[in-house]
Formats: sequence, structure tokens, C-alpha cells
Amino acid sequence: MKDLMRIKCLISQDIETLLNQQIKKEAHSSSLYLSMSSWCDQNGFDFSADYFAKQSEEERMHQLKLFKYVLDMGGNAISPEVNGIKTDFAGFREVFEDALEAEIAITQSFKNIYAKCQNEQDFVTMEFLNWFLKEQREEEYKARRALELFEVIGEEGTGRWEIDKHVNKITYSEQ
Amino acid sequence: MEKACININELINVFSTKQGSIYQSDKLNCFFVDFGGKFARYNCLSLRKLKKVVEDIDIDALLLNTHKADFELVTFNGCEHIYLLNACEIVALKELLQGTFTMFKLNHLISDCLHRLVV
Ligand SMILES: [Fe+2]
Ligand SMILES: [Fe+2]
Repeated sequence: MKDLMRIKCLISQDIETLLNQQIKKEAHSSSLYLSMSSWCDQNGFDFSADYFAKQSEEERMHQLKLFKYVLDMGGNAISPEVNGIKTDFAGFREVFEDALEAEIAITQSFKNIYAKCQNEQDFVTMEFLNWFLKEQREEEYKARRALELFEVIGEEGTGRWEIDKHVNKITYSEQ
Repeated sequence: MEKACININELINVFSTKQGSIYQSDKLNCFFVDFGGKFARYNCLSLRKLKKVVEDIDIDALLLNTHKADFELVTFNGCEHIYLLNACEIVALKELLQGTFTMFKLNHLISDCLHRLVV
């Protein structure tokens, strides 16, 4: 008997489902960052608004990267519905706390997919995911550094204004 | 009817239950679902879609909702076939499809071991 399903598709249905869930999560992240950008803009934090707008674009790119992979492997990539995006934040600091929390959740999610791949010996998808694992290193670093500005600079006086100015300058280099 | 143009002897029985059977044709690279009085042809993609559609039906809601008929239309875009099924039949079709996909998995493992390992 021919292995018809395998001929059509490199990834298993379980992996396909997980990747589609990840596509949705990246879309959610993208929308959330855009929402944060809006809040920052409205409250006068222009640099942070830019920072989050850029993050939003990056998340969209992650989404499309996963989307293309699922299709290239012969799977069914599903354009996700995104809802329940938080639009109001208690304060400037909360925005950054939420951002870090979201990135941690994404890292965990990739770890889970990786574990499943390992279980199935899907080395092809594991190799594909390596890019994302490395990306998460940078994403978490940047989110954590941004939050640390609140400790280093402090929110009193012109503190928030100072923090806002520094957010955009955070970069990550491996060396 | 599809039945008339395919040689039943060339079909491989992938999985059967009391309610139905699913066959594979290596010649036509497709599947035949014998269920609910229908003998319907599917390709890989549409069979996967059928499984998903059936698995997504909320059977509890179907039984508990008194404002709705106890039947559910099972089909999807691009599918030539429509099933009108009650809750029991949906469970039966689900069982048939899940059994079939388990056999696909098994066949995949066997194919890997027998034909794909370069010694
Ligand atoms: Fe991402
Ligand atoms: Fe991210």
C-alpha cells in the first residue's frame, strides 16, 4: 500500500496543528504590539510607540514565515482569527510587563513544539524552528531590558520621558 | 457512479467498522469512503478535511440543543459529497476516519522501515 499521506505532506498532522496554533499566536502578538503602540502614542510616548509598531511588524513576519513553511511542506496553513486583544493598560510600565510576559509565553510555545518534533523525530521541522528559538533569545532580551529601564531610571519626575527615549536604543548582539 | 468505473479488486481496505469502510487506490492515488449508503471518492486533502469537519462537530451540543434538528450536514467547500447524519452516525464516521488515519500512520512506519532505509 502506497504511503499516500506522506507523499503529499512532509509534516504530521499533529505538527501541522501545532504550527497553525503558532501562526495564530504570532498573529495575536502582532496585534497586541500594535495595540501597545496605539496606547503609547496616545499617552505621549512616541519612541515606545515606534518600538512597538516595529515589534508588531516583526511578529507579522514570524507569522508569515511559519505560514510559508506549512504550505511548503504540503500542509494546510490556516489564516487565523485574532480576537481578545487588550487595548487598555493601567500605565506605561504595565505595557512593558505585558510585552515580556507575551514573549515568555511564545518561547514556551516554541519549546513545546520542539519537544513534540523531537518525539516524532521530525528533524526537518526542528531545524526550521532553530531560527525561532534564536529569535526568542533576542525578543526576550529586548523585552527584559526595556522593563529594567524602569528600575534603572525610575518613573519619578521626568523618568518616564527618559525611559521612552531609551526604549528605541535597545539592541541585542551575540558578541 | 464512481463504483462502475473502478475495479473493486484493486482497492485496498484501509479500515472497516460495522458501519463502513475506507479504501485506498494505489492506481488512482485516492480514497473511497463507503459510508451512509454512499461510495465517495476523496483525495488526500479532502479526506483530511472531512476528518477535521467531523471531529469539529460538537455532538453534545447537537443532542442538547432542542431548537435544532438532531441531524448535521457534513460537507465542506470543494467537497462533492454531502452527508446528513444523526449523532450516532457522526460518531460512527468519526471512528471510521480516526481508525483509517491510525492505519495510515502504521503504514507510514512500515513503509519507512521496509523501503526507505538505505542500507
Ligand atoms: Fe514572534
Ligand atoms: Fe516576539
